[in-house]
Amino acid sequence: MKQHSTKYAWPWLRRFNLAGQAPLITLIVLCLATALMTDRFISPLNLTNILVQSSIMAVIAIGMTFVIIGGGFDLSVGSTVALAGCIAAMVMVRLGLVTGIIAGIAAGMTVGLVNGLIIARLGVNPFITTLATMVLVRGVVFLITGGAPVGDEGLPSAFIAFGSARFLGIHFLVWVPALLLVVLSFLMQATPYGQRVYATGGNRDAAYLSGVPVERIIASTYVWCGGLAGLAGVMLAARLQSGQPTAGEFYELTAIAAVILGGASLHGGEGTLYKSIIGVLIMVVLGNSLNLLNVDSYWQRVAIGAVIIAAAATDRLRCHQ
Amino acid sequence: MAHMPARVTRAFYAEASGDLGLSGLGDTVNVAEKKRHFDEVLTTNETLAPVRLYDQLCLRERASAHRVSTFSRSVVISGRRDGGMTKSALSARAVSRYFGATCALANVDFELFAGEVHALIGENGAGKSTLVRILGGVIKPDQGEVFPDGQRAAFDSPRDAMAAGIVTIPQELRLVPSLSIAENLTLGDPPVKRVLGMRVIDRRRMRTAAGDQLAQLGLALDPRIRVDRLSYAERQLVAIAKALRRHCRVLILDEPTAALESREVERLFTLIERMKREGTAILHVTHRLDEVDRLADRCTVLRDGQVATVARRGNFKIADLIVAMTGGFEMPPGDTVSQPGGIVLEDVSRHSDAIRLRANEVLGLAGLLSSGAGRMLRRLFGFAGERIELRRNGVLQQITSPADAIGIGIGFVPDERRLGLIMNQSIHDNILLPSLDVITRGGRIDRGEGKRLVEQMMELLDIRPRRPELPVAKLSGGNQQKVIMAKWLARAVGVLLLDEPTQGIDVAAKAQIHTLIRNFAKRGGGVLVRSSDLTELTLICDEILAVHQAHIADRLQRSDGYDEQRLHAAIGG
Repeated sequence: MKQHSTKYAWPWLRRFNLAGQAPLITLIVLCLATALMTDRFISPLNLTNILVQSSIMAVIAIGMTFVIIGGGFDLSVGSTVALAGCIAAMVMVRLGLVTGIIAGIAAGMTVGLVNGLIIARLGVNPFITTLATMVLVRGVVFLITGGAPVGDEGLPSAFIAFGSARFLGIHFLVWVPALLLVVLSFLMQATPYGQRVYATGGNRDAAYLSGVPVERIIASTYVWCGGLAGLAGVMLAARLQSGQPTAGEFYELTAIAAVILGGASLHGGEGTLYKSIIGVLIMVVLGNSLNLLNVDSYWQRVAIGAVIIAAAATDRLRCHQ
Repeated sequence: MAHMPARVTRAFYAEASGDLGLSGLGDTVNVAEKKRHFDEVLTTNETLAPVRLYDQLCLRERASAHRVSTFSRSVVISGRRDGGMTKSALSARAVSRYFGATCALANVDFELFAGEVHALIGENGAGKSTLVRILGGVIKPDQGEVFPDGQRAAFDSPRDAMAAGIVTIPQELRLVPSLSIAENLTLGDPPVKRVLGMRVIDRRRMRTAAGDQLAQLGLALDPRIRVDRLSYAERQLVAIAKALRRHCRVLILDEPTAALESREVERLFTLIERMKREGTAILHVTHRLDEVDRLADRCTVLRDGQVATVARRGNFKIADLIVAMTGGFEMPPGDTVSQPGGIVLEDVSRHSDAIRLRANEVLGLAGLLSSGAGRMLRRLFGFAGERIELRRNGVLQQITSPADAIGIGIGFVPDERRLGLIMNQSIHDNILLPSLDVITRGGRIDRGEGKRLVEQMMELLDIRPRRPELPVAKLSGGNQQKVIMAKWLARAVGVLLLDEPTQGIDVAAKAQIHTLIRNFAKRGGGVLVRSSDLTELTLICDEILAVHQAHIADRLQRSDGYDEQRLHAAIGG
């Protein structure tokens, strides 16, 4: 075969990898457009609101990114959020703040472990497995709570403060995903574990033949996802000042959409944590701007659905090239 | 282009004179002289022995290339030397096709006559499959035209090609595994009957029709059997039977014998011969030169996306075809027997067929596709789903997974590159994947160390281009294979298990990998290599184990001199 020299008109553009920054550019354009259309958008109150609204979803999306990079899929995070919130509230009322938080996160990790073992060991399809646990966990939540909110009274005041207090002018709820992003990005990019997750998602067989313990890696991504959904459930409980058995419905769909918007591939092996968070911000800013522009809420759903399809289609086109 | 402009490889194809065969292929003639000769031929084609000239020089000039092909057509039609071979069934003229910046086909002329078997050969990457896909209407040429039945037609899809009576049997057969033979054969236009005014599939008629068709091909199969129960050879024949249900003037077979055993090959060839007698034009893509000799009336050799030569029956010698395919590239001769050291790997869980691998030794496993040789290799790597016991450097070890095998210094290059590489990841990440634990310091990957290792490996194995950040999907087959080798060399394993290490890569890369294997052994490593290419094994191995029905049938030593006939007999080929 002969190689023809290929010239690029904008070599620096190539180095910058414009296509890879599509989520960030989308977010900036979205913000600018909204800011031009309504001056309420850049008010400090609104911006804070956006960050706080994004924070819980960002924690879930980080966990979801682990699973999607590893080539999987998790529909059970919404139910896990409710389970963790309720368990945390129940335990906290009796055994105190720290035990409650740990119990909530542990509940999430347990759901993740169950998902992970069924998917990695038994080889059951992730879609079916997590669809089943989604329903199952929601059932468990209603069983243990009797369908009523938990801990309306008697939650530690520190926990309630956590839901609204600020540190350096920024809500605690926002610090959580920011800190997680730094630590877990390091885990994904700079440690053998992270590289093995990417390898397993990219090509499970090839990873296995290169000595990667693929079953353990896949199971671990679900444990991360469940655990982080658990943490998000605790955060949501703090914000709502109670454990709500109906909390977190449709969170799984928003989280998956955000991760895909952030450029991760549903085929696995591709994705970045910070881009997933940008995906979350896109979803929240879009909802926020439609609200500010007084768009009918039914139309808002239509618009968000269309954005997700557009993101998935661009992903597909990119793969084709 | 590998050739210097002043020297042109002579690639004549003598239509009538017969004395200008490929025998003169290695000769070189002066360019001017050649051009003059060519012009003479063009002007005096009534009387002169028509000589078809297909050298790269002329192919560069589009116009003259056109003249060549038009000319040769007229000659053949007026020639009428043997009956049946006169009507063009399918031809391509000045066809070019690019994939991105890579030129897969450059100005290729090709002609297929009714009632001939035409072999298409060439190294991997020479453009065979691109040409086949263009002829079959799967892709469109960037330049040039395809003429089915001598008439111009633009194929927009495989459907158009099918309508023109051109049927391609690809390597991956397009049958539905979960349906029966009869259902597959009648897929698309099943026989129907009316029950209560509704159109319902007529099962009985479907079965009898399918049965008749199988019988016509000499296949004694129950049409009710599900296709996934059939062997590859049987499925292939079913695919051909399906093709023959339609109007089929041209049958394109893409490496049909690659996965067949010799008995099955015979059955296929009988069928091809019969279809040829019935006037079907058959394009037989292959890399087995003995098949060209056995079956083909004519043979087109592609090299680097261009026609290297077109030869006809009686004029092709295998050695000449190799030169035409490779451009005169010579394989490095196998070096002298190395002194084997101590046993580095011994399979202790099997007594009768124990494999014992020594240091400084390249051990070959020869066997047909279904012989079980591949499985022997995979189980040594813990990849056959069973627990095995190995003695590695004298120490007894349990192996249940590839991770265990890697842990005791064994590396494995699988026969499918899909299994060896993560295609969307970079060269850098692929090479380092098995060595992540080696380059980790305090839980963190040492990037500098990794980068050095990758650069060293890319240099050592000559992986091109030298861009570690490039996704391996963008590399050629040969370079991909080198990346897989680099994975294990980076980890400094002591034993390499190689499954078809040079399958589907070009000659130059093949030679580099052979040298690499020999060097690895020379430096004290042990190599166990399985290959279906016996010539390759005799070239690089110190000892060859012939595998037949999952047992070692024979052991041949290099020091005794390899007896290819004995080897063939032992593997049951």
